[in-house]
Amino acid sequence: MTSLLLVAQVTADAAARVGEGRIQGGWGYVAASYAIAYGAMAAYAVSLWLRRPRGGKSEE
Amino acid sequence: MRRRGLLSTAWVLLRKDLLLEWRTRARLNALLVFALSTLLLFSFAVGPDTRLLERNAGGYLWLALLFASVLSLGESFRVEAENECLDGLRLAPADPRALFLAKAAGNTLLLVGLGTVLFPIMVALYSAKLAMGMGDFLLVLTLGCMSLSAPGTVYSAIANHARARDVLLPLLLFPLVVPALLAATKATSLVLQGDPMNQLGSWLGLLAGFNLMYWGLGFLLFPRVVED
Amino acid sequence: MNDKYRALRNGLAVLGVLTLAVGAYMGLSWAPAEREMGEVYRIIYVHVPAMWMALLAVTLNLVCCISYLFKASWGKDALAEASAEVAVLFGGFGLVLGSIWAKPTWGVWWDWDPRLTSMSVMLVAYLGYLAMRKFVEDPEKRAVWSAVVGIIAYVDIPIVWFSVKWWRTLHQVQSTPKTVDADMTLALRVNAFAFLFLMAFFVWNRYRIARAQRAAEVALPEALPTSAGHTSTGPVPGVLS
Repeated sequence: MTSLLLVAQVTADAAARVGEGRIQGGWGYVAASYAIAYGAMAAYAVSLWLRRPRGGKSEE
Repeated sequence: MRRRGLLSTAWVLLRKDLLLEWRTRARLNALLVFALSTLLLFSFAVGPDTRLLERNAGGYLWLALLFASVLSLGESFRVEAENECLDGLRLAPADPRALFLAKAAGNTLLLVGLGTVLFPIMVALYSAKLAMGMGDFLLVLTLGCMSLSAPGTVYSAIANHARARDVLLPLLLFPLVVPALLAATKATSLVLQGDPMNQLGSWLGLLAGFNLMYWGLGFLLFPRVVED
Repeated sequence: MNDKYRALRNGLAVLGVLTLAVGAYMGLSWAPAEREMGEVYRIIYVHVPAMWMALLAVTLNLVCCISYLFKASWGKDALAEASAEVAVLFGGFGLVLGSIWAKPTWGVWWDWDPRLTSMSVMLVAYLGYLAMRKFVEDPEKRAVWSAVVGIIAYVDIPIVWFSVKWWRTLHQVQSTPKTVDADMTLALRVNAFAFLFLMAFFVWNRYRIARAQRAAEVALPEALPTSAGHTSTGPVPGVLS
């Protein structure tokens, strides 16, 4: 009897998960992605600033 | 002096290159030995799994040809750089587009010849079988070698005058020929292992399209590469 | 030329950062979770705009390359250099994000998905383009050759895409979730505009650097064999600002 109940519960759980069908959590991936994107752009901005044209006519 | 037509100039230049190639056979031999050892090395890298080797035979053949093509393409303008031969040709005056056709055709011939010699060795080394006719194999081989040669000739002319030319040519060429390599490898595998789903035509079509595109682009752009 | 556009450039940067802040808020919390992908799908708000900007930048590069071959100018060459470098930036981190996206979605870091694969081939091709520019010292030859290489590399992108697609469809068909609602589209657009502003800012500044480098290279006429006499196709050093 208990085993039957258990089986029923397990299948219900599985069904619920299939119905949900969605990847749980995953905020770590999202955080890493945003950090890499913004970090890359910030680093590039810094590299542009370091390479900026100095002296000569192009500066005021 | 009568100006020669485009194709006739190309033919003269091609004959000159082939004659040069034939008189210095040491280079041809070196190329052959290089491609052979590449084929051998693949089997060492993969291990003595005969079925795996047989299944990937087409891919190994094309990688060997690709690596060899870098050597032969690199040489094709190095011989002109000696004694300023390239300037001499331009002053002849030879149409630079004829020069492109001659060099690309010469490289194609060289690679097709290499592939033909490598084929029986590949069959022996990897115990590959030829499911379709030899004609199909030669068609794939020719189209594939043409698609390596056309962009390769343009890039070789560029790399020859740059610093680090030995690095530059593969750096530019390898990403570019990915579709050609993919199509040639697939088509070769189909020729070797049979083509139950009739896919050979579409891969040959892709190769033909790639060739059309890059022989056309090379023909148009090459004069700008060698201009002074 | 005085740097009269400096305010405009910095304005672009400010506008870009502000839009990006709004986009980050929308992407990370305002937009709803996706039906199948859950929260992980929020990566697309930075991944997809990055890929779009990479494609936009290589297209700008192509325009510069073609127009350089018709009429040479240092400006076009500098803009080509700037757009290629910015394309490599966006394409580079965009690909890393694509790989991060693949891990929870398909369970592997790299799936040989046609779009990601052709983008990676494109990235390597443009890295080669940039390397070639470094390896050629004569500025005029560099400009012509890189214009040729730029055209050849761009034409390859659709061919690579087709070939990888065919190659992959013999294996399996990749299903991309098509459950997009209006909020998601809006959040994606805001992020795309933020990236666009930042890209314009980057290209503009990189262009100024390239322009200054060209000016320094051409300012030494003795260093160049051709600049003493008349050159038929090369730009005239005097037009440099």
